[in-house]
Amino acid sequence: MKLLTITILVLGTYLLHAEDPDFNSEVRPILASNCFQCHGPDVKARKAKLRLDQREGATRDLGGYRAVSPGQTTESELMKRILSDDPEEIMPPPKTKKHLTIEQKEILRKWITSGADYQDHWAFVRPNKPRVPEIANGPRVKNNIDRFVLARLKLEELEPAAEASPETLIRRVSFSLTGLPPTLEEIDTFLADKAPNAYNKMVDHYLNSPAYGEHMARHWLDLARYADSNGYQYDTERQQWVWRDWVINAYNSNKPFNKFTIEQLAGDLLPQASEHQRLATGFNRNHGITIEGGIIDEEYRTEYVMDRVVTTSQVWMALTMGCARCHDHKFDPISQKEFYQVFHFFNQVPERGANGFAPKQRLTSPLAAAKKTENERKLSQLKKELEKPLNLDALIEQWTSQIALQPKEGWVILSPKTIKSTGGATLSKLDDNSILVGGANSQKDIYEFTAKVTAEKMTAVRLEALTHQTLPGNGPGRHSNSNFVLSEFELTAISIKNPSQSQVVKFARAIADYSQAGYGVSKAIDGTTANSNGWAVDGPTRKAPATAIFTTALPFGYEGGSLLRFRLRHEADFAAHGMGRPRLSVTTDPADALQLQGIPAGIREIATIINQKRTKSQSDRLKKYFLTHHNPNRNLKKRIATIEKQLAASFPETMIMQDMAKPRATHVLNRGQYNEPGERVSAGVPAIFPTMRANNSNRLGFAQWLMDPTHPLTARVAVNRYWQQLFGTGLVKTAEDFGIQGELPSHPELLDWLALEFIRSGWDTKHMYSLLLNSATYRQTSHAGKAAYRNDPENRLLARGPRMRLDAEEIRDSCLASSGLLVNQLGGKSVYPYQPKGLWMELNNRPGYSKEYQQGKGNDLYRRSIYTFWKRTVPSPMLKTFDAPEREFCTTRRSRTNTPLQALALLNGPQFVEAARRLAERMLSKGGQTLNERITYGFRLVTARVPVQSELTLLRSSYTENLKLFETNQSTAHKLLKVGDSPYNTRLNISKLAAMTSVARLLLNLNETVTKG
Amino acid sequence: MKQLPATKMDTSLLRRSFLKRSSIGSAALMSLLKDSSAGMIKPNESAKCKRVIVLCMAGGPSHLETFDYKPKLEELDGKPMPKSFTEGQQIAQLQGQANNLKVLGPQHQFKKYGKSGQEISAALPNIANKISDDICIIRSMQTEQINHDPAHTFMNTGSIISGRPSMGSWINYGLGSESGNLPGFVVLTSVGGGQSQPIAARQWHSGFLPSQHQGVRLRSKGDPVLYINNPKGVTPDRQKDVIDTIKNLNMIGNQTLKDPEIAARISQYEMAFRMQMSVPELVDFSNEPKHITDLYGTKGADGTFASNCLLARRLAERGVRFIQLYHRGWDHHGGIKKGVEHTAKLVDQASAALVLDLKERGLLDDTLVVWGGEFGRTPMAQGNGRDHHIKAFSMWMAGGGIKPGITYGATDELGYSAEKDIVHVHDFHATMLNLLGIDHEKFTYRYQGRDFRLTDVHGKILKDIII
Repeated sequence: MKLLTITILVLGTYLLHAEDPDFNSEVRPILASNCFQCHGPDVKARKAKLRLDQREGATRDLGGYRAVSPGQTTESELMKRILSDDPEEIMPPPKTKKHLTIEQKEILRKWITSGADYQDHWAFVRPNKPRVPEIANGPRVKNNIDRFVLARLKLEELEPAAEASPETLIRRVSFSLTGLPPTLEEIDTFLADKAPNAYNKMVDHYLNSPAYGEHMARHWLDLARYADSNGYQYDTERQQWVWRDWVINAYNSNKPFNKFTIEQLAGDLLPQASEHQRLATGFNRNHGITIEGGIIDEEYRTEYVMDRVVTTSQVWMALTMGCARCHDHKFDPISQKEFYQVFHFFNQVPERGANGFAPKQRLTSPLAAAKKTENERKLSQLKKELEKPLNLDALIEQWTSQIALQPKEGWVILSPKTIKSTGGATLSKLDDNSILVGGANSQKDIYEFTAKVTAEKMTAVRLEALTHQTLPGNGPGRHSNSNFVLSEFELTAISIKNPSQSQVVKFARAIADYSQAGYGVSKAIDGTTANSNGWAVDGPTRKAPATAIFTTALPFGYEGGSLLRFRLRHEADFAAHGMGRPRLSVTTDPADALQLQGIPAGIREIATIINQKRTKSQSDRLKKYFLTHHNPNRNLKKRIATIEKQLAASFPETMIMQDMAKPRATHVLNRGQYNEPGERVSAGVPAIFPTMRANNSNRLGFAQWLMDPTHPLTARVAVNRYWQQLFGTGLVKTAEDFGIQGELPSHPELLDWLALEFIRSGWDTKHMYSLLLNSATYRQTSHAGKAAYRNDPENRLLARGPRMRLDAEEIRDSCLASSGLLVNQLGGKSVYPYQPKGLWMELNNRPGYSKEYQQGKGNDLYRRSIYTFWKRTVPSPMLKTFDAPEREFCTTRRSRTNTPLQALALLNGPQFVEAARRLAERMLSKGGQTLNERITYGFRLVTARVPVQSELTLLRSSYTENLKLFETNQSTAHKLLKVGDSPYNTRLNISKLAAMTSVARLLLNLNETVTKG
Repeated sequence: MKQLPATKMDTSLLRRSFLKRSSIGSAALMSLLKDSSAGMIKPNESAKCKRVIVLCMAGGPSHLETFDYKPKLEELDGKPMPKSFTEGQQIAQLQGQANNLKVLGPQHQFKKYGKSGQEISAALPNIANKISDDICIIRSMQTEQINHDPAHTFMNTGSIISGRPSMGSWINYGLGSESGNLPGFVVLTSVGGGQSQPIAARQWHSGFLPSQHQGVRLRSKGDPVLYINNPKGVTPDRQKDVIDTIKNLNMIGNQTLKDPEIAARISQYEMAFRMQMSVPELVDFSNEPKHITDLYGTKGADGTFASNCLLARRLAERGVRFIQLYHRGWDHHGGIKKGVEHTAKLVDQASAALVLDLKERGLLDDTLVVWGGEFGRTPMAQGNGRDHHIKAFSMWMAGGGIKPGITYGATDELGYSAEKDIVHVHDFHATMLNLLGIDHEKFTYRYQGRDFRLTDVHGKILKDIII
């Protein structure tokens, strides 16, 4: 408390007595918050033609008086106005609900007295090489970072903290660089290494780990608003993970930040752009895309371009450009016109608003290249095998001899004689005797087919719902979603000899190879069409044929042949749900021997004829059937198809950037509205910044301009984010806003030094991380005592080491890692780990659009969280609970909150309960012989340190108590061990394992476990 | 001696950040804990209510079949829509047939009800007969977004740009929660009666406000709150023991560290345990008398709108600040006559029951109930349905300082455009905040250098409908 009081007192004293207020740190914030709204850069909003953000405007002659008359407060209208009590006169006006404090008025007074000097906003001025404070090398000075930090601490009369323990350091570095805890081997190696450069080696070890790329990419994905779904209404799936793999690979190969930038913003425009350079541009296609009906294309296309401008300027320049969309920026010197000049760079994509997924391209993930080669090798091998000739005759003989031994008659496919639709649909008979339905698609429709048969004791009817390319979505039904609903299936048999004789055939049972939940096939023979009941087959999601068999109560058919009259009734309330291509068959096989498919009776007949006696046409038919259904190459072909599918999936079509041959004109949009174009503008960058190189006024030129070493923002913004990542808060706390309303840097010289070092190193990202991590500042302990936390809660002065709760992904990944469940596999399609059932459909269950969360199996449950499928409208509940953003837009800083929901997820979520059990298995089987050893082993896995005696005592007694309970109640032990998909180790004693699982749950929930520092 | 400029500004910066932390930091923690004073602001003297229940009729209920009777529409049924109304206006799915727009007359009968004589559709008999004298119908709503998702975003956050905090988050951030065992912002969802348009979880997101202010959805299937149930094989006793042991271990670990965050961590686990104890009781209706479950028309917490309404009352009783119910079933592009009838049947009785029940318990006085969708529907036919429409729609409010038994605002003779006393979404927000004792112009949060408000730079308080 004392220190804080001192700080405030010092500040207060300073404010009241200092001579010249500093414009950037003291004067401008007052003017910006209180005056710029009406007297700032925005021309349209400007009142009384007065602008106070520039000296020229403030000191202009306004007709015998000036707002600011340097050196003369009594002559300054500004002073008169802010001191007035007249509600008509006083500034800011009462209706703005803003008012100046006495101290603020005093600062303005002193500023005017001292000459009303203006300074340029620090962030818009190119960094100058700062003088490095002269402090000699020593244990507290590992590199120049420490010199800047110590100089500052000296001013505050504060001492830096001691170096943290080696266990803390390795855990901190491991999380900082890979997002994972150190392994016991890594810890032991580091502890045993007494070389002076042991720490540097340890840092390098993690910098070279493949997990480094995953961890860094994960931060980049927040900025890039990366997701696996399209956002907006239906939030369907997209395939941008190939781009995500590009990012991981770029970090792991330490692609210099200038190339990293240029390729992502304009890789497609580079000369002879490579496949991966084009892939990189997916960055600016990560925004949401709508597929909702009834939208206006241009409105949404405009939104996509806006998103690119806003995201790009936030990521590289920490500028809130979006504020200049509707009017000139209220605070920063960016006019609305300049906003649209930048807009022009991103306005050239040949895209649409609705379903605006093009341009897309099939590009290989840089992480899948090896796998691709392997698959291609296998494929060519299999194809060669396929080319080998077959001894067809022998194969057919072998097959027919088998058939002859089988007693069944099989199905006789009916050739319909008459076909009719009550709804006016066009029915046509195809060669395979199926009926293709087209034309009118009425609300309700009944198909009537007749066919002649000679068989007498028929036992069943088969109805195949086949698919066809003329049907919606190549599915089996006529509705636009490919579904059908067969309300009732009816059959009447009429004697051909004596047509007055007829019977309604009663069906006893119906089976099908596929039925939609709630629409079982038996509903087609239940004698009612009430409540729209009937047989349906999930057309929206399953575009495949389906087959039903209806067995009769008694055999049917007349001597001398029968005429069968079928009625396929489609009478559900769902409009136009007719079957698309039905085909009918009958059989005389006994009902219990029926198979859905089977050898057609005709073929069976031919097969029983001796080879030599078959006619040519019979042999051909047999051969054709054999090749279609029993081709020995079928398996081979299946394997080829599977690999081809894998190959296609390993590089799906991914969205990328592209410019149209003929540029699209860009206009200033009044009020930012797509349909209110104003003045036409050409490409350009805001005048406050260095100019672009001539002859290159496209997206590539813009990207190169950003990376020009003279750009005042790019390097500062990047190194500030690196700092934020490692220390929790950036040197500029508002990492997303370096503009006039953003916070000022805590260590401006250090920031500039780092920025220049970044440029000097050739934009070497790993070098920068290494520099930061090797500083004594980073290596301080965070055990600094109560007062330190109270006086400087956010550690802005850096008098102690960083300490923060792990990010959502780090929490999950570290539990997987310490339990040994983590599956380390780099890149690939996103996966679906544990998630409570029903979450997706509860919020989004529109038939034909929505799908249920398909929880993964095996390895997919244990991949790193960067690979978790990211659905924007229903994000992973575990990640969301721990403050992961939705990724609807660019996020520079996440919140770091503590909520009970987080405790619930960690205590009760199956992912964590399973991890606790697996951790317990590790402790029991690998931790040593004694209880102390085993507990210590687990404790080290999660915290990297050895527990103190009191911790050990508590954990031991928890184990003993639980063991007693589980021994008396083994069934609860069993239940606990069964949580999660992975089986538990049955060689271990069940009660002991359950008791140790309870201990492991404690370990995973410790404050220290979810904290780095 | 003169200090370096950098030092001067850093000191002020430090002080600012410290002050911010000391208020927000603890408020952040406390808003999920029990202290009702944990909000960022104290309600002012305009405060008339303490909590809000929003019955969101998602999909866009037709005002022309519910609360806005238009005889002229009946007269013109089937005739071409007068061009003077529609020329140059944005329409959604009717875009393609802009030259062939026909009027669709009201599909349901209207009558006057109650002492107040409010005109309400026969499709809503319970609202009409039981609470017409308790509600204030607003017939002159307007919004800016014509598609569901952005329209919900606008209704919830006052902005079409996603990423802004929702009204429930704003209110919890401002006033804090009164419940020690439950989150301050709870969301319930139900479906039925029409195309069930999806709803995104971002609709109850906290945007740039600290994320503990986001809405927590209670589910009707599975765990009501995610992960609220102990793992299989863990009894409540054991769980309590786990919580206690974690606390003890954390305290040992903190002996050298002394990180203030540790207190937050301990409270976090204790609150989690209290939630585990209280949520099962919350969703257990067995102690509700039969006349109450009959009033709502529900048998148990089964995820229907009716059971959600009863749950809403139970949440209100337990001090939850903002309760939002979504019924996804009002998107009637086709078959609007039957569609409205069907959806209305699922919501009418329970909506009325909620108002009556709150009134009975004396809770209506300080609870604001809001009923309405994200937009209205066109007077023009879309087949036998209606398309989305933003220039006019209806909503009603009750309790919490709202004048009962009145109708406010009016649309033109065809119900195409709000004409008299137009109420914009921002005005609704301003009024709601006013009732809660919050000055919508002063209630700001600085983000990316700008002071944001729920009402952006707009919003007028509807003084005429406030008691």
